[in-house]
Amino acid sequence: MTRCGPAPILQAIAVSKSYGSRRVLDGVSLDVNPGEIVGLLGPNGAGKTTTLSILATVLRPDSGRVLIQGTPAHEDPRRLGRLLGLVPQSLALYPTLSAAENVWHFARMQGLARRDARAACARVLDEVGLRDRAHDPTRSLSGGMKRRLNLACGIVHRPAALLLDETTGGVDLESREQILTLVRQAAETGAGIIYSTHYMEEAERICDRVLLIDRGTLVAAGPVDELIALGGGRPRMEVTYRGHLADNWLCDLAGVREIAGSGGHGRLTVEMTKPAQLGDVLQHLKNLRVHVIDFTLHSPNLADAFLALTGRSLHDSAPEEAERN
Amino acid sequence: MLRATWLTVQNEARLLRKDPIVLFMLLLAPVVIITVAGYSLGNLYGNGSNTVHVPIIDRDRGQVAAAIIDALGRERAVAVERVADTTDAQTLVRTRDRTPLAIEIPPGTSNAIAEGRPASLILYVDPVRRLEVNQLELRLADFCRSLSAAAQATAQQRLADSAADLRAQLKRLATALTKERLQIQQELAQQQAAIVASINAQVGNGIRQVAREIETTVRMHEQQAWGELQRQLSARQEILLKVQRYLVELQASQNGFEIWLETLKERAGRHASDIPPPPAFPVPPSEAALAELARPITPPSFASLPPRSSLLPSLALKVPALSPGSEGELASELGSLRDASVPALPGTLGLIERPAVEGGSVAISAFDQYVPGFGVTFLLIGMLLGISLTLFDEREWGTLKRLQVSGVPLAGVLLGKLSARFVVGTVQMTILFVVGWALFGISLGRHPFALGFPIVSMSFAAAAFGLVIAAVARAHDSVMPLGTVSSMAMSAIGGCWWPLDFEPGWMRAIAWSLPTTWTMQVFNDLMIRNQPASSVLWPCAVTMSIGCLFLAIGLCAFLKLNK
Repeated sequence: MTRCGPAPILQAIAVSKSYGSRRVLDGVSLDVNPGEIVGLLGPNGAGKTTTLSILATVLRPDSGRVLIQGTPAHEDPRRLGRLLGLVPQSLALYPTLSAAENVWHFARMQGLARRDARAACARVLDEVGLRDRAHDPTRSLSGGMKRRLNLACGIVHRPAALLLDETTGGVDLESREQILTLVRQAAETGAGIIYSTHYMEEAERICDRVLLIDRGTLVAAGPVDELIALGGGRPRMEVTYRGHLADNWLCDLAGVREIAGSGGHGRLTVEMTKPAQLGDVLQHLKNLRVHVIDFTLHSPNLADAFLALTGRSLHDSAPEEAERN
Repeated sequence: MLRATWLTVQNEARLLRKDPIVLFMLLLAPVVIITVAGYSLGNLYGNGSNTVHVPIIDRDRGQVAAAIIDALGRERAVAVERVADTTDAQTLVRTRDRTPLAIEIPPGTSNAIAEGRPASLILYVDPVRRLEVNQLELRLADFCRSLSAAAQATAQQRLADSAADLRAQLKRLATALTKERLQIQQELAQQQAAIVASINAQVGNGIRQVAREIETTVRMHEQQAWGELQRQLSARQEILLKVQRYLVELQASQNGFEIWLETLKERAGRHASDIPPPPAFPVPPSEAALAELARPITPPSFASLPPRSSLLPSLALKVPALSPGSEGELASELGSLRDASVPALPGTLGLIERPAVEGGSVAISAFDQYVPGFGVTFLLIGMLLGISLTLFDEREWGTLKRLQVSGVPLAGVLLGKLSARFVVGTVQMTILFVVGWALFGISLGRHPFALGFPIVSMSFAAAAFGLVIAAVARAHDSVMPLGTVSSMAMSAIGGCWWPLDFEPGWMRAIAWSLPTTWTMQVFNDLMIRNQPASSVLWPCAVTMSIGCLFLAIGLCAFLKLNK
């Protein structure tokens, strides 16, 4: 799993963790380089939060090591802790304090001097779009604003390694976009980021590399394209139509095959070798005097790869693990 | 760690400022509870503000009844209500609020007391309101004692006045008696002298008459006796002359016999030795003696005898003087009557309450107990809210985890929370004392600033106790039941709600292991007993020690829990 290149800011080596007799992580190894966003993708209960907790040093692994800038995390927790920024899945904010007070407290706790903290607070509140609401009590903010504030508190001290756990869960589109932009900006400033999510689209959009994790084990790791290819998936198109189609209506189109149909009752799914064959299929339907009402193109993605690699959907979950996390 | 502690303190101050409920719990709630408790339970300390109604059935209509009704009427918290019938009074006690008892003053009570006989009031009491009844009974007993004492003092005064009058009369009597005695003595002396003179004259005359008659008789018999004596002596004188002549002749015969005997012997020759000696002649009296016998007797002359009258005693009668003893006894008796002390009526045994400590007060306000007591209680509750619950809040909010990730020492965060709440607790208690002093007039003792010691030590112990609860509770929902029960128990057993002496021995034994007990002891010493500031040292040291123990347990348990 270890890549060649700059020294990783964060490293986990063969980390294992069990809760009682149940193994939650089993020999997980990963590394994060400066400026890199590493996605940790898996269904609920796969072990993402446990992995992040161990990387954040709030949870001790049963075996294995965590290195921060090459140093074992337990050797100098105070100095190394300041290199980390954690944005937990649930909000980690003081609800009665204002946004500014929350950011100020964590900035100061992260070791920033008073003057630096003041500047950092103003900057990060501006970045997350909360400058106008800086002095409102946190509990009066919307869900999306709280998520952005949660992120602001994690990045106010510009950590070298940023641990993001389901950061966009339950937020509106605008806030999600802002959060993803901020994450990308943080990476551009040199932070190494682990982005834990079960939203495949987000991982595909912003991650340089993705780690697929299932039942405490890394099943695959690499750039998004490689993982998708590793899954062996092909583009699919779902079509809603009006008209009549013969059973062998696809015989003239090479590389295209019908994988699901409704038996001439208005819906069908075809698999193609490449997305460019979309036009050929639509033209062919037109030639057959079938009126296409709607169609959807589904490119192969990480969910397909995950399904191919694990036999399970990315949205399945292990209830016990989810509950524990 | 100091930085983390200080930043946590600042954050706690921000959190507190933003939480009006906590501010309410810290300041307003204790004031409300103290006010309610102080005014409601003030009767326990004899200074309740509620007016109680006391129906009175006056069957005596005398001075004693009037005095009792008047005294009760002067009581600020008592409203006297005259009723005519016992049944009405009992009904009022049974059914009406704030009427714990009724008083019946039986007929003849005043007379009985005036005449020195016992008398009793009849009280109709509601057993449900025993505490109020006890308070009123104490007041009534006080009145009765005062009335009895006053009556006794009046009687004693009257007795003293009568005794003084009697003494004055006795004095006048003694003076008159003395005067009379002197007069009698003078008269007696005069009469005595006259009698003596008369008797002496009569006796003198009698004696002289008798003397003359005796002289005459003696002279006559004397002359007769001498005549007879001279006659008899003349006869015996002649016989004696004859005897004298015989004796002279006998002497001459003896001489002749001796010559004859010599002649005989010579003639006998050799046989002279055979002649026995002759019998000896008696020796005759001497010539002088015989001459004396022969001398004529001269009769004595009575002319040389002293006059017979001189032999008679001269009688000078003296009347024995009057015994001064009889007069002295009377005077002494009178004197003893004058000096006799007035018999005192038996005194009444009353009670005088004095503080056991110099400068202390006997009566206290209920607020003197409840301001520190409920202050400590709410201090403990405040620590539950401020430390135990907020630690669980921080855990649930995730802020504690975020701080842990950033390398902030958890111990520093905990100490910061404790420090902040310690300061808050200290300020809270100080404000409560100031409010108590300003609103309820509680005593702050001789050294108000010394109250700072127990406030600081108890705040520290309470803060540490909050940490122990946070470590023991394990879950947010367990904090309130566990913390509330332990806080309440600690307050109750520690004497925050009632004096420690109300509790049984085993509970008091437990109490001495609680910081609340030691703190309340200091508050009572300083505020009520007016003890010097130095008295706080030992109890505060114990409280701090218990706080240190709590802190060690809490820190270890909480850090272990969050490892």
